[in-house]
Amino acid sequence: MQRQPAVVVQGLEKTYPGGTRAIDGIDFTVEQGEFFGFLGPNGAGKTTTIKILATLLSKSGGHVEVASIDIDEDARSVRAAIGVALQEVGLDDLSKGRDFLVLQGRLYGIGRAEANRRADELLELVGLSGVGKRKIGSYSGGMRRRIDLAGALMHRPNILFLDEPTSGLDPQSRLAIWEHLEDLNAQGVTIMLTTQHMDEADRLCRRLAIIDHGRLVTEGSPSTLKAGVGGDVVRVSFGPMDSPDGRADTALGALCQLPSVREADTTPDGLTATVDDGGAAAPAILRTLNDAEIPVANLAVTRPSLDDVFLHHTGREIREADADEDAESRVWGQWMGVNRR
Amino acid sequence: MLILRESTYIYVRNLKTWLAQPTMIVAAVLSSAVMYLFFGEPLRGITGLPGFPAADYQAFLTAMVIVMAVVFSGSDMAMVLLTDIMSGYVDKLLLSPVNRFSILLGTLAIGATRAIAQVVAIILVATAIGVRFEGGVLGILAVIVATTLLGVAMGCVGLIIAVRTRSVQVTVNSWLLFMPLAFLTSAFMPRELITGWFQFAVGLNPVEYILVAVRTVIIDGWVWEHIVPGFWVLLGTSAVLIGLATYEYRRATN
Repeated sequence: MQRQPAVVVQGLEKTYPGGTRAIDGIDFTVEQGEFFGFLGPNGAGKTTTIKILATLLSKSGGHVEVASIDIDEDARSVRAAIGVALQEVGLDDLSKGRDFLVLQGRLYGIGRAEANRRADELLELVGLSGVGKRKIGSYSGGMRRRIDLAGALMHRPNILFLDEPTSGLDPQSRLAIWEHLEDLNAQGVTIMLTTQHMDEADRLCRRLAIIDHGRLVTEGSPSTLKAGVGGDVVRVSFGPMDSPDGRADTALGALCQLPSVREADTTPDGLTATVDDGGAAAPAILRTLNDAEIPVANLAVTRPSLDDVFLHHTGREIREADADEDAESRVWGQWMGVNRR
Repeated sequence: MLILRESTYIYVRNLKTWLAQPTMIVAAVLSSAVMYLFFGEPLRGITGLPGFPAADYQAFLTAMVIVMAVVFSGSDMAMVLLTDIMSGYVDKLLLSPVNRFSILLGTLAIGATRAIAQVVAIILVATAIGVRFEGGVLGILAVIVATTLLGVAMGCVGLIIAVRTRSVQVTVNSWLLFMPLAFLTSAFMPRELITGWFQFAVGLNPVEYILVAVRTVIIDGWVWEHIVPGFWVLLGTSAVLIGLATYEYRRATN
């Protein structure tokens, strides 16, 4: 029997009071056990989507099933089945780390003894055993994310929603969180995270959806997405030559004959070639250059990054997109009466 | 039963949060003591006015100190709740499978606890400076129960302000809204001795009837004709405000 997907989203729409259209009809499915990434700039609709899936925000249209439960039919069962860590964290600064976890467990219906045991286990897992008795207010940014993650895991959810779990953290803390998430996923937990960091999406996610202005732009595994942008680029710099005249052009002509080369061009100190697979094409390119008696000083293969994928699909770099007006924060700003950026 | 258990967890969390901020508790007790210091001793001569109902002004003032403390606690409640909304803690609770009503109950229960603590502290201060409670021990208990209910009702006003506005500016200044409720009363002077528009306004303020009832129990004992109107007003006001708060809360969390 085929397993039910962990998350099914069909035609999801969200318009905030005031008319801002945050989600403009998106569809996607997350399979059980998958590590799924939602990539996009600030204000693209990532957080809104996660909040709707987690039943915190109502949708304006569409159909959503989480853990095979329609969120409109039984939101409470959805809440019991999922673990959520939101960007705004929502920790209780005056509470001690361990107390926070135990309370979190109790709220999910776990018995006292089990909640205590589980809290210790999770403190150990996220490397906070030593500070469980300290108030959360005294924690660093990385420690706060980790205690929040531990809180989301208290009731052993099979599906985890994480909203930018590492934004604003130092590289070491990011790495620690990444490792925890990879372990969890290896244990079978379905993880859906939002991120605006290409490296994070690239490292963690088996499959990605790129979202911009409330619409899904493209979807696929990081490698397929990157392959879709274009081939690898091989850059060659020539070494010193006695009589260079014409030899570069000869080499260029020979390279263009190679089946693996899609296109090639000369550069001031050598040439570049766009190929399907840089690793496989490099030896043939070297051989061709060698036959043309051209000394090679350097050869480098560059693969397209997810940045290139984003650029390819939206016509902008993700950082430029960040500078756009942030619709989501603006709505929150109105709502909360303060500016939450 | 589940709701009761869930609200207990949330209540205990709120209690810990409150106890973790001793300055707030000390300030609450201190403000009552200061009331006696500022208004009790210096205004003592008022009792000499013809028609003044009490011989001991401190005793007369005790009801005002208690009622004022619980009325203004509504504003504190708003701030406490708003802090939890702003930090995202309320979202965290809403993400869990607990009943929405449990969260509300846990919040109102801490309002009640704060009111009880404050009222008991004031009664202790009053006893220490020699105020006699004519209603006896039962009277003291009745005062505690009634003003706690008033505290919960004012907490509901605070809750509505916090949930509706979600604004620090408005919430921090919400004491302005509670001011007429607390001051448009016969807190310092019996209603018979007040004149003009003030007397009229006092007659419209529901808190006035509750204040009179509480004061009667303290300075005269069980004089029912002054207590019964306050009892009904308290019951009615609380029912309406708790109902409204529940409605607003449901609206905000659905």
